[in-house]
Amino acid sequence: MPKRTVLFDRHERLGGRIVDFHGWLLPVQYEGILAEHAHCRQSVVVFDTCHMGQIAIRGSDAAGELSRLLTQDAAALPVGRARYGLLLNERGGILDDTILLRLADDEFLLVVNAGPRDSDFDWLAWHMSRSVTLEDRSQSWGKLDVQGPGSFAALRPLVDAHLEKLAYFHVVRAQCCGRQAIVSRTGYTGELGYEIFLPMEDVPAVFDELLSREAVRPAGLGARDSLRLEMCYPLYGQDIDEETTPLEADLGRFVDLRREFMGAAALRAVAAVGVRRRLVAFRAETRRRAESGMEIAAPDGRIVGAVTSAAFAPSLGVSIAMGYVEAACAHSGAAMSIRHARGELPVVQADKPLYKQGACRTIVPGL
Amino acid sequence: MNAPTDLLYTDQHEWIRVQGRMGTVGISDFAQNALGDVTFVDLPAVGTVLARGAEACAIESCKAASGIYAPAAGKVTEVNAALADDPGLVNREPYGKGWLFQLEIADPSDLDRLMQAAQYREFCAKEA
Repeated sequence: MPKRTVLFDRHERLGGRIVDFHGWLLPVQYEGILAEHAHCRQSVVVFDTCHMGQIAIRGSDAAGELSRLLTQDAAALPVGRARYGLLLNERGGILDDTILLRLADDEFLLVVNAGPRDSDFDWLAWHMSRSVTLEDRSQSWGKLDVQGPGSFAALRPLVDAHLEKLAYFHVVRAQCCGRQAIVSRTGYTGELGYEIFLPMEDVPAVFDELLSREAVRPAGLGARDSLRLEMCYPLYGQDIDEETTPLEADLGRFVDLRREFMGAAALRAVAAVGVRRRLVAFRAETRRRAESGMEIAAPDGRIVGAVTSAAFAPSLGVSIAMGYVEAACAHSGAAMSIRHARGELPVVQADKPLYKQGACRTIVPGL
Repeated sequence: MNAPTDLLYTDQHEWIRVQGRMGTVGISDFAQNALGDVTFVDLPAVGTVLARGAEACAIESCKAASGIYAPAAGKVTEVNAALADDPGLVNREPYGKGWLFQLEIADPSDLDRLMQAAQYREFCAKEA
């Protein structure tokens, strides 16, 4: 039986087209994917991300234990900061990609994907010292992602913290619409944006308050996917999974191999011989798009990889894709061909991100 | 749902407007709504000879890619070049500027198998 988020009735009332996403009934779109994508790039949208997992980790040993199990160096993460990283198995395979928030010296929040959230919790519970308190609060806490250049102006009147001082990947506890919340300057779109963590019962009121602002529109999973793919952010279960390592997935900058953590030894062994394949980005010259699973051919016709994600990129006006290719073929600028069901689709490997105007790192929001 | 009475419809949601031996083909309002934003139309080459029910072209939307099938056998005489730059015409004007291609109908009896607008509306009501 697929699950509903606390906003399900509102999605239906707003005209959302509901689909089953990893066992969750969520809107793929409201007015349309292209319009929602453009509104996020130009103004501000809100996504219901209550399906995602939130795991609270507390205790004096929490930093040390998390440092041992995540690629994020939790012990070196200052209070009030967040960091992207991975949960790996012993072989260096990716169990999930996560964001770790440090709320206090002895308190962290780990944000995980909807699909693997239960197995993530079990993995942490199994591998962590009993001295650390783990709480899966995915049922009791929700999340709203407010994304786009207009997010600062939309959110500032609702939050009692100094939002203008909140830098990229910084976190603050604040009141949002008079309710206790955590606000982080993070997101999955490449735009200036915030994620608001709230007790589940407070989510509907904040969602309504956001949508009552003229600039803010709701956006669904369809726009979320095309926005993230333009930024070349991987999607767990599609671009990365237990059979891929961060080194192959081009996530090496989130992995410090001088440090000890679960999977580090395996990754050092991989690094010593070099990866066999690499996750690269492609840009087509036309609107025709590939589909995941399609083969990628080198100019000599040899199959060198396969597509993992593909979409029409509304901001670029052409189709784009990501896929794994043999490491020797991973060169920006290399012309390749995707074996499309209706003929060859010529593509060129391009530097990430494919969309370069995203202002997620902007120093002064609202300008 | 909009389904003009001067068109004939297939159970795959194509429409055909018949003028003499020529037929103009597109997809219905119901179909464009189900597809969502159309991002690319892979049109057939002019001169292509199609059997009735053969895949004539494909439409890609943000969500899906769908085959478009010939409502009747015939030869493609013209395609809608405007769709290359503005595939959204299929969404905005499915029965007008969003047409896909023109067909010289080989056998007019193929048209007898198609649905009239009233019948097609009922068909869509059941699918919805």
